[in-house]
Amino acid sequence: MAASFLVPKTFPLFSTNPGSVSSTKSTRAPSFIQTERNVRPHGVGGRGSVQTLAKKKNPWLDPFDEGEDPDMEYGSLFADGKQEEDPRPPDNPDNPYGFLKFPKGFNVEIASLGLKIRGDVRRCCCVISGGVYENLLFFPAIQLIKDRYPGVQVDVVASPRGKQTYELNKNVRWADDYDPDDDFPEPAEYMDMLGVLKNRYYDMVLSTRLAGLGHAAFVFMTSARDRVSYIYPNVNAAGAGLLLSETFTAESTNLSDGGFNMYHQMVDWLGRPFRSVPRQPLPPLKVSISRKLKEVVEAKVKNAGAEKGRYLVIHGIQSDSQASMQSRGDTDSLLPVSIWSEIVEDIRGVKPIFVIPHEKERENVEEIVGEDTSIIFITTPGQLAALINDSAGVITTNTAAVQLANARLKPSIALFCSEEKANLFVPNAEEKKCVIVSSKTGKLADIDIEAVKKSLNIFEVSLALA
Amino acid sequence: MALREAIFARPSLNHHGFIPVTTLDTNLRSTLPTQVVSAPPGLSRRCQRIHVKNRGRASGFKVCALPDWPLMAVLVEHLDGQRDFHSYKSIWHLSDKAIKNVYTFYIMFTCWGCLFFGSTKDPFYDSEGYRKDGGDGTGNWIYEKQADIEESARAELWREELIEEIEQKVGGLKELEEAGKK
Repeated sequence: MAASFLVPKTFPLFSTNPGSVSSTKSTRAPSFIQTERNVRPHGVGGRGSVQTLAKKKNPWLDPFDEGEDPDMEYGSLFADGKQEEDPRPPDNPDNPYGFLKFPKGFNVEIASLGLKIRGDVRRCCCVISGGVYENLLFFPAIQLIKDRYPGVQVDVVASPRGKQTYELNKNVRWADDYDPDDDFPEPAEYMDMLGVLKNRYYDMVLSTRLAGLGHAAFVFMTSARDRVSYIYPNVNAAGAGLLLSETFTAESTNLSDGGFNMYHQMVDWLGRPFRSVPRQPLPPLKVSISRKLKEVVEAKVKNAGAEKGRYLVIHGIQSDSQASMQSRGDTDSLLPVSIWSEIVEDIRGVKPIFVIPHEKERENVEEIVGEDTSIIFITTPGQLAALINDSAGVITTNTAAVQLANARLKPSIALFCSEEKANLFVPNAEEKKCVIVSSKTGKLADIDIEAVKKSLNIFEVSLALA
Repeated sequence: MALREAIFARPSLNHHGFIPVTTLDTNLRSTLPTQVVSAPPGLSRRCQRIHVKNRGRASGFKVCALPDWPLMAVLVEHLDGQRDFHSYKSIWHLSDKAIKNVYTFYIMFTCWGCLFFGSTKDPFYDSEGYRKDGGDGTGNWIYEKQADIEESARAELWREELIEEIEQKVGGLKELEEAGKK
């Protein structure tokens, strides 16, 4: 089946292998017309698999949807398994028979079959609410989508800050900046983004913004087949469910409170088992750093007077800058420079590099820590990741730096305001070579500096290895 | 005495055929002063052909190019025992509506001309920004550029990672081979 599918010229697909279709007895024509109800998760629960989300389906969406038909039998075509990765060879302009410029991954003649019967996703859009941290934590979900739907093209819509994160993601095609958290966007901007999204004909739109009627309407108007979004856990969600085909009720009004696994509901749904496809496991957080980025950061490091592989990254300096890369779920996650200077005092052998989110902090750091301090001005997660990648280790508060260090498997010391937050944001800290120091009082400023100094020895180990 | 008749020379096709207005009886009317004879009310502006002199040769069918414009007036002075005295008035008599139409057309043409011929002189259209290779002629790609750069950078990143992975695998295989040789 797949072999014949690979050849794009065999248009009469049913006639080339009639045996496979007709031999399956009681294959009925309507099986191709089966709608997307197969895709819905309530079918998942009914099949006796692990049911993570026990929830009723919304009767308003389709009053005649009684769930999956138990008597329904599917043919072998497009009914089961994962979708194939782009079944079309690249366009050949020199083809004497000419060629039609259809979009990739799109066999026009049979395009809708897989989409309808199996719920294929060829184009997916993720609307990510929040800043750098939230976008970074969505990376595993994007990888999961890529693994679950081979050949899918993933696009992202995020706030301008959050969009910068996708410099680190190889799986994303387009990243557009549009702030989904803005309740009253400019009408022109709103319409423009709506048109852009509609024009791309997405099969699935995921949104991590808590949707009320307004945001649900926005997602609805992209006219995607699967409109999937988180919704408010309170009355603000009224009406949103009508416009969305799948909803996740957030545990609180702030999704980022969930920490590292803040998107677990959506991830559960995305990786749900389907017919013979088993549950798709969530891959670990990974970032990829381009060569250009590395070069830029190497120059910066040299400028700051440090040596590659011989410095520690200090991130999380108190500042009112927007580029501090905190999580929304942990607002108490920045330390004043005076505390940092105490922590840094005892570091020997490696050079601490202070990462400042704004140039105005430079004076401050020079004044308190010393004139010969290495200071690097970095606002983008891409550069931060490259910096961390070349470092001996990272000392950071709960900013994106701790996740980047974990993703690049760099030893790190993470300072948290409380034990609970630490467990939320860095689960399995030992595996990730991450030492967690948390404040006893629940305030980050009261952190035990001695404990931090004691844990500095993890960097010596890594240096010895290097 | 002379009889003057005015012929509004409006050659027009008459659907009802040629209906000559009664030829004036010169004997009766000879005492009348010069007058302009108007057509009967029912025929006003349709066919006001009055007084055909050579009745035998007259042809009533004439094609009118400008049907509603009374372009020319012909005055015929009729004197007994003499030849008719014709005077032609070639003033254009345009109705208010026709004048309005003319001016409307004039101003529309002027506006269109200013826009069209003005736009061909637009420096932006002649600039590299609009004309150089890579543009689709709309200028839109100027704004798409950044997105394109980022997209291709990510695609490049993907390829780099793939190559790295392959190299790692190949390296692993080589190590295995070497281990096998030893």
